Amino acid sequence: MDTSLSCATVIRSFIYGLPALLLTLIAVAFVSVSLLSTKKKNEMSIGTLGEPSTLNPIQHADAAAGEVLAVIFNGLLKYDANLEITTDLAKSFTLTQTTTVFFADTNAALTALLKLQSEKSRWQEWKLNSASIREQSLILELGEPGMDVSRKIVSLFDATTLAPLHIVRVDLQEKAAETLEAFRGTSAGSRIIREWTESSAAFEVTVTGDADSFLKELEKFLSTKADLKARAAMVQTDQFLAEPEVVFSLRDDVRWHDGKPFTSRDVAFTYRAIMDDATASPRKPDFLYILRLETPDAHTVRVVYRKPYSPALSSWMIGILPAHILEGKPPEWWAVNFNRNPVGTGPFRFDKWKTNEYLRVTRNPDYFNAPGPWLDSMVFRVLPDQLALRLAFETRQVDFWSVDPWAVGHFEKDKRFDLFSSPSSSYTYVGWNLRRDIFQDERVRRALAHAVNVPEMIKYILYGHGVQSTGIFTPKMWFFDPNVHPFAYDPEKARQLLAEAGWKPGKDGILEKDGQRFSFTLITNNGNEIRRDIATLVQDDLKKLGIEVNIELYEWAVFLKNFINKGSFDAMVLGWALGPDYDQYQIWHSSQSNPEQLNVVKYNNPEVDKLLVGIREEYRREKIIELAGLMQTTIYRDQPYLFLYVPEGTSVMWKDSYRIHRPGGRGEWVDTPVEMTKAGWGYYTDWFYRPEYADLLPK
Amino acid sequence: MLTFILRRLLISVVLLFLISIISFFIITLTPGSPYPWGELNPKITPQVKEAFKKKFHLDRPLHEQYWLNMRDLFSGRLKSIKDDRPVLQRIAERLPATISLNVLAIVLSLTFGLLLGVYAAKHAGRLPDVLTSILAFIFIALPGFWISNLVVIGLVKFTNAPLLGTQTYGIDFPNLLALWLDRFWHIALPATVLSIGGIAAQSRFIRASMIETMREDYIRTAFAKGLAQETVFYKHALRNSIRPLITGIGGLLPGLIGGSIIIETIFAYPGLGRLGYEAVLERDYPTLVALNFIVAALVLLGNLISDVLYAVVDPRVHLE
Repeated sequence: MDTSLSCATVIRSFIYGLPALLLTLIAVAFVSVSLLSTKKKNEMSIGTLGEPSTLNPIQHADAAAGEVLAVIFNGLLKYDANLEITTDLAKSFTLTQTTTVFFADTNAALTALLKLQSEKSRWQEWKLNSASIREQSLILELGEPGMDVSRKIVSLFDATTLAPLHIVRVDLQEKAAETLEAFRGTSAGSRIIREWTESSAAFEVTVTGDADSFLKELEKFLSTKADLKARAAMVQTDQFLAEPEVVFSLRDDVRWHDGKPFTSRDVAFTYRAIMDDATASPRKPDFLYILRLETPDAHTVRVVYRKPYSPALSSWMIGILPAHILEGKPPEWWAVNFNRNPVGTGPFRFDKWKTNEYLRVTRNPDYFNAPGPWLDSMVFRVLPDQLALRLAFETRQVDFWSVDPWAVGHFEKDKRFDLFSSPSSSYTYVGWNLRRDIFQDERVRRALAHAVNVPEMIKYILYGHGVQSTGIFTPKMWFFDPNVHPFAYDPEKARQLLAEAGWKPGKDGILEKDGQRFSFTLITNNGNEIRRDIATLVQDDLKKLGIEVNIELYEWAVFLKNFINKGSFDAMVLGWALGPDYDQYQIWHSSQSNPEQLNVVKYNNPEVDKLLVGIREEYRREKIIELAGLMQTTIYRDQPYLFLYVPEGTSVMWKDSYRIHRPGGRGEWVDTPVEMTKAGWGYYTDWFYRPEYADLLPK
Repeated sequence: MLTFILRRLLISVVLLFLISIISFFIITLTPGSPYPWGELNPKITPQVKEAFKKKFHLDRPLHEQYWLNMRDLFSGRLKSIKDDRPVLQRIAERLPATISLNVLAIVLSLTFGLLLGVYAAKHAGRLPDVLTSILAFIFIALPGFWISNLVVIGLVKFTNAPLLGTQTYGIDFPNLLALWLDRFWHIALPATVLSIGGIAAQSRFIRASMIETMREDYIRTAFAKGLAQETVFYKHALRNSIRPLITGIGGLLPGLIGGSIIIETIFAYPGLGRLGYEAVLERDYPTLVALNFIVAALVLLGNLISDVLYAVVDPRVHLE
């Protein structure tokens, strides 16, 4: 009796005791964490949305990885606070160009040289440094890359004596380098004056003289290698070869995080790694214009390009990889070792990556811009969504947060925070599918631009935190043209333009022309409330003019696959977030409007096509500004998109948690609060410090 | 019993094969693509896309992709599209966090479920029973994400307790105890929210089973023999009433590593649920294939364990 009663007591105390114990433990933990001191370590905490894919600068494609990589690696170049190119690992760089003109015979080349000598007075204007003759060709050394000057010079010569150049491209299944090697041994192969292997599946050769016979022999040669399924085609014919050259002289005081010196070998290795198919680098297209890369000495890198292509310069902002660690290692090794434990040259060294939790980097005392950084470490907290980011910010677990437009007002009023705002480099637009009859007439598109009340949209959707977009570039880019004025909201003007274009109100009040009603479907992706609201406002504004708009929303993947990629839609709301890059060939060139290409509205303006190609060949700053301005003006006038607005990005920080202590221009130190630059609030990360650790700064 | 287990295992293998086919096609036929650089990126050329597709066999017909995925899964070579690392490694590194969260959640739901169930049964029909029942139904009905959000908002507004991840960052801990309590707090918080539904459901099972047992003849006999109320209740009745609790353990197995997408996302907890969720968003097919396969295998195994346990705790059940 006694035993069974005590047994019951044991069971009972177990049933009641265990939960009580757990509850106590949780309560104790709660008290303990609530009492934790708020004295912060000398560490910056940043929230990133989503997990970085890989910490390899040539393999990543996501923003989360980009943020972390920026403090671990350096490129040869970087953007300065105004988003213009400046040097980083390179001390300086020079741009020149070698232009080679081929002639039918040596005499003709000599005649051309004499002609050139007689124009000696213009050499300076052309930036022509020297001219010489090798066999049947005239070699011009120019102090500035570009096509303009070379074309001007060549036009002085007798065109009939020139030997045109032909570039022939061969696409094949594999073994491009081996095939090219074998072909070089043939008689036609000996005519090659320049060759370039793009990948194991393509190469290009350049020849002068008779192209047809060369092509025939090449095809004959390729037919002996039937298993390669090779196809040869002439891609270009030109009067001369223009080969720009960039010479970087590298800093000699840079060390990798493991102490080994940084040299030109690392740059050459990085280039080869990008070009190697095995690394599958998404950055490869940026480097396809390189003909060859040479390293004359440990601190010089010479890059010769196949043709003038100025956007290629900014591709040298890519983080340089350490050759002494990676050379000879297969990409599988990279993936599990280096890419999770990178060694760079940047202000911070990689320390630890806890998957889906955080990445930590610690101060690099050997940093080439020493004595910075002032922080002991930085932590990138991986957070799943905006809500978690906000919670982390409010509980002071991350130091910065980018605020949605609707919440900016709330934070502005709160004395506990500092806010920084600047226009973003993205814009939102309504794209008119120019494949559709109703959008063909540019008067109609201009009418639509007058009909939609964009200022009101900015007021109600962005709570005023944005500016009206005036075309394909955003205001903080150095080539942005501020003289393009936005279309004013003017329904009367819109009505008038529509009437001019032949649209008359029909029986049901909807405009009609030749029996066709002005009615279309406006699509956008589900889950983006701002775009949905834009669609509604557009619908409402156009209704007043007698235009019927039906709105349809689709899940992002379906939206892209079934509508955007196929070009089968009437109109859509979308946005572009672009870097400070004036090259927008892929978005606006008429050749880029096939399925899955990015000229989704099928914009086609030969004048713009010319500008898009021309700006790529242009290296002169003032010319780039001129061409970009022309491009912006022309496209804005044509209104293939209804350009809506450039939103403002706002970041918020707990009041006074950081200041900046950075070198000024003349060896002095500048001490400022955190400030917004065109490149964002984080531009001076190397020089951020916590005021409570101010004693770490140099006296 | 052995033949029963063998037969069930055999059936499970066939089932697993079918599940893997169906889930593979559901995963890959969903619109969207696994491009890490996003669809509309002016910097990406068709050549880059092609090279990417080739690397991950995405250029092959679907049935071939299925076969390649399965082959790589079993040889351990299956690699994530996201970061190129072996999928099994990615899953393994999430296991400690996932298991500690789920074990605690299960312990909480079993202990508190038992407590509330027994308490309600003891006061069956009276006010305490009515109150716990109402509470249980409320908690069964309320969605987990809603409760989590309330908890989160409450904590942020009224306390300065940290809530995200597995520990507090950016500070120095005064001692080891504070560090461990901090870690425990970061597990306990999501585990509590995760277990609320389980506690409520568990308490209902125990209560019903308890009340049913109390009506049995042998209980009446025990009372008739003059045993104390406490002894009859805790010793004789309870033992027979916790059978659903024991057999339910098998069903918890998939939950042990399956995790909870919503709770893990709200608390930014680095578990397997978030791995799966992010893999869906990124269309990381290999990771999804592996996760689906493992969870399916665990469900089948869990069912089997439940059946076996049933035979072990209840002598009336024979497996053949």
